[in-house]
Amino acid sequence: METFSLLLQGFGVALQPINLFYALLGSVLGTAIGVLPGIGPALTIALLLPVTISVAPTSAFIMFAGVLYGAMYGGSTTSILINTPGEAGSMMTALEGNRMARAGRGASALATAALGSFVAGTIATLLLTFAAPAIAEIAFYFRPADYFALTVLAFTSVAVVMGSSRVRGFVSLFIGLALGLVGIDQMTGQARLTFGVPALFDGMELAVVLVSLFAVGEILYVASRYRKNASEIVPMRGWAWMSWEDLRRSWKPWLRGTALGFPIGALPGGGSEIPTMLSYTLERRLSKHPEEFGHGAIEGVAGPEAANNAAAAGILIPLLTLGLPTSATAAVLLAAFQNYGLQPGPFLFTNNPELVWGLIASLYVGNVMLLVLNLPLVGLWVRLLSIPAPQLYAGILVFATIGIWGVSNSVVDLIAMVIIGIMGYVMRVYDFPIAPVLIGLILGPMAEQQLRTALAAGQGNPVVLVSTPLSVAFLVLAGLFLLAPVVLRRLRAGA
Amino acid sequence: MPNSIPEAPAGGGSDTARPWWLGGLVVALGCLCLYGAFSLPQAARYAGIGPGLFVTLVGGGLVLLGLILLLQIARDEQFIPQDTEDASGGESAHWPAFFTALAAALAPIFTIERLGMPITAMLSFALVAHAFGSRKTVVNVLVGAVLGALSWLLFTRLGLQLGGFLPMAGI
Repeated sequence: METFSLLLQGFGVALQPINLFYALLGSVLGTAIGVLPGIGPALTIALLLPVTISVAPTSAFIMFAGVLYGAMYGGSTTSILINTPGEAGSMMTALEGNRMARAGRGASALATAALGSFVAGTIATLLLTFAAPAIAEIAFYFRPADYFALTVLAFTSVAVVMGSSRVRGFVSLFIGLALGLVGIDQMTGQARLTFGVPALFDGMELAVVLVSLFAVGEILYVASRYRKNASEIVPMRGWAWMSWEDLRRSWKPWLRGTALGFPIGALPGGGSEIPTMLSYTLERRLSKHPEEFGHGAIEGVAGPEAANNAAAAGILIPLLTLGLPTSATAAVLLAAFQNYGLQPGPFLFTNNPELVWGLIASLYVGNVMLLVLNLPLVGLWVRLLSIPAPQLYAGILVFATIGIWGVSNSVVDLIAMVIIGIMGYVMRVYDFPIAPVLIGLILGPMAEQQLRTALAAGQGNPVVLVSTPLSVAFLVLAGLFLLAPVVLRRLRAGA
Repeated sequence: MPNSIPEAPAGGGSDTARPWWLGGLVVALGCLCLYGAFSLPQAARYAGIGPGLFVTLVGGGLVLLGLILLLQIARDEQFIPQDTEDASGGESAHWPAFFTALAAALAPIFTIERLGMPITAMLSFALVAHAFGSRKTVVNVLVGAVLGALSWLLFTRLGLQLGGFLPMAGI
């Protein structure tokens, strides 16, 4: 019952005009960047970070949540209408959705994607509402050894699951960990890996690294391998709508997609690729018209889209309750919390209930807004694609420069931008995953602090690290994750 | 006999495509961390570990991973460039475009303090647009300048410190 009254208070916060405005702003921005190539939710939130100094935390997070959800909606639009899945999570949507659009059923595909995202987003938010406080309650009993084991689990899973090679995943992770070590050591005040450059004493800002990797790296990569998009836009005007028959075929895949997406999204390293792939495979197995798959089956859009959105809500569970980011977007959200001097985790629920519940309530509001923004206005969003690529990427670089310069007006940051941008280019050419760098950068200091606290409490005896059942369980799980690629390869072969 | 076409030249012929430097770079990064860790105490008095240990661990990890990567490269590990929107991993790099875009990213280092954000934005914008094949340079320069000036006004108003509008002229 307590959850209900807290949620009601949350709605009181989320429905304040100023917060409604930020929810709308976030939803519009999110949908736009979801439609546009070359820019995703993590980069957008990172670029918005400096602006937040003049915005109250609650409003800022409500806006970020709008960006996170909006990008999912916008991403499905381009997948369906021009067959360019902007991220791994919408690959399956493009598979069936674009075929539907070509067969003149684009409106149905867009509608089932938007409504499915709405249903999944709402159910997942509902699950978040009740699961988050319970998990936060458990997290109160976590000891430093447990937290350290949990970060090890997060590291292993992220390095293993994201990308195609375990070794390259771990290289990315360790580069992130090394970047996270730069600066003054919090516990002893000693400068580490600064090599005498005073500007590095404050450490590497996550926003700088993220913007360099995602914006500069991407621009360098696309510029060197640019090919004009040959796939034409399937014309689409007016409303996206569906028939009763489409609805009848869609609602079960929506629910199944949500059931897959939410828990997997909440797991470290779960991401959105695996649940959407699972959902697609499941729908093809269960469908009464399996022959339609590959030629535009609506179940193949409905299920994965729902899974994708539910997974996006799922990442908020470990982030809010444990302070554990499991994706690039979650990492930048964690950085935003830190910018406000807030540490997500169990204490956030007791110390800042207004923020947490306002944020959760705004997710319900945001979903309704996005549905309204996307169903009738889809023709308008598609027009964004008429921005020519040269000017679009040029604009992205300008905003990236503003974002990085705005952090601390430091030329060293700008030099870092170029070096890390070239690193981002190399990582794309040699297929290194990028998210583990960010997770390592932001979680590394936390892992180290927990390790040192745990060891200090155990008077330096490393046995303390496996002294609780939970820490053992996490470390065993981390070990199991090392075997995950074999399982995943089988899944891919089956998809 | 379509079946007998050899897929790739065997042996020494493919050595040029092997990115040894990639593994070497990871090892070098690890060594850099280890070098940085040398000057730090590994153990503190009360806590079992000091500020240096984690640095040593990360450096050691990077060296190890770099060596494994070198081993993989020796065993002909395939690196497939990532496919993204607007770019195909299958295509080979077009270096003039790459370096033009790189120049755009480098420009702010030299211009932002003296020439300010709007002019920097103008330069970067025009260079990236050129790298992507746009030859409407005058239009791009103008669009970049307007975008830079408007962003400067908007973000400064939002409380962001972006430096002077045109520092050379003292504005």
